[in-house]
Amino acid sequence: MKATLEMINRMQADGVIGKYAIGGAVAATFYLEPSATEDVDIFVMLPPTPGSSLLSLSPIYEYLTARGCRVAGERIVVADWPMQLLAPHGALEQEALDDAVETEVEGVRTWVLRAEHLVAIALQTGRAKDYARIVQFLEQDAVDADKLKRVLMRHGLVPKWERFEHKYLEE
Amino acid sequence: MDEKERRKRLASLPFAEKLKILEKLRDRSRVIATAGLRKARVRHEREPLDDVTSKS
Repeated sequence: MKATLEMINRMQADGVIGKYAIGGAVAATFYLEPSATEDVDIFVMLPPTPGSSLLSLSPIYEYLTARGCRVAGERIVVADWPMQLLAPHGALEQEALDDAVETEVEGVRTWVLRAEHLVAIALQTGRAKDYARIVQFLEQDAVDADKLKRVLMRHGLVPKWERFEHKYLEE
Repeated sequence: MDEKERRKRLASLPFAEKLKILEKLRDRSRVIATAGLRKARVRHEREPLDDVTSKS
């Protein structure tokens, strides 16, 4: 992972991407016990393409493939980690990226989404594995309940949270 | 050590150490996936279509 993060940081320093943060299962591992995952999700701000209002991942793919990384379906393999690049979709993911926590992995600086944002994004995504992850966060007291409540309120997720609570947390 | 304690201990490890565990888990599932494919291929090679149809 160190080599993967070094490559992402180099790409950031070269202006190919803006701010980035790790999301998904790898980010959850920052707060919880490790659980198996095949890839790493990276939320990334893309600099606007000159002369176009559209954002494109092509410059990232071009940059990485020129440095020996290989494309595998929707992912690009960087130092043995298949990486999925995600431009923030909607206000919640944008806020999550803006508010990411800075940390270090073996001396390499990186950013990870906050636990409360990971839970809110998981709730919004709403697959079975996302709900299972939310339960893990709650079981391990890895979220600040007040912060989570504020995130859910800001993004209109309270009704969905109440349905989730009713279905999965009330015995 | 009970399950809850074990999970708590793992969660409290430094992020870099937890990432090394993730890498081991990932490599192990890759080996399992490859072994499954190899087994399926060997089975297919041992039982070519003609042999299978001749059994019925």
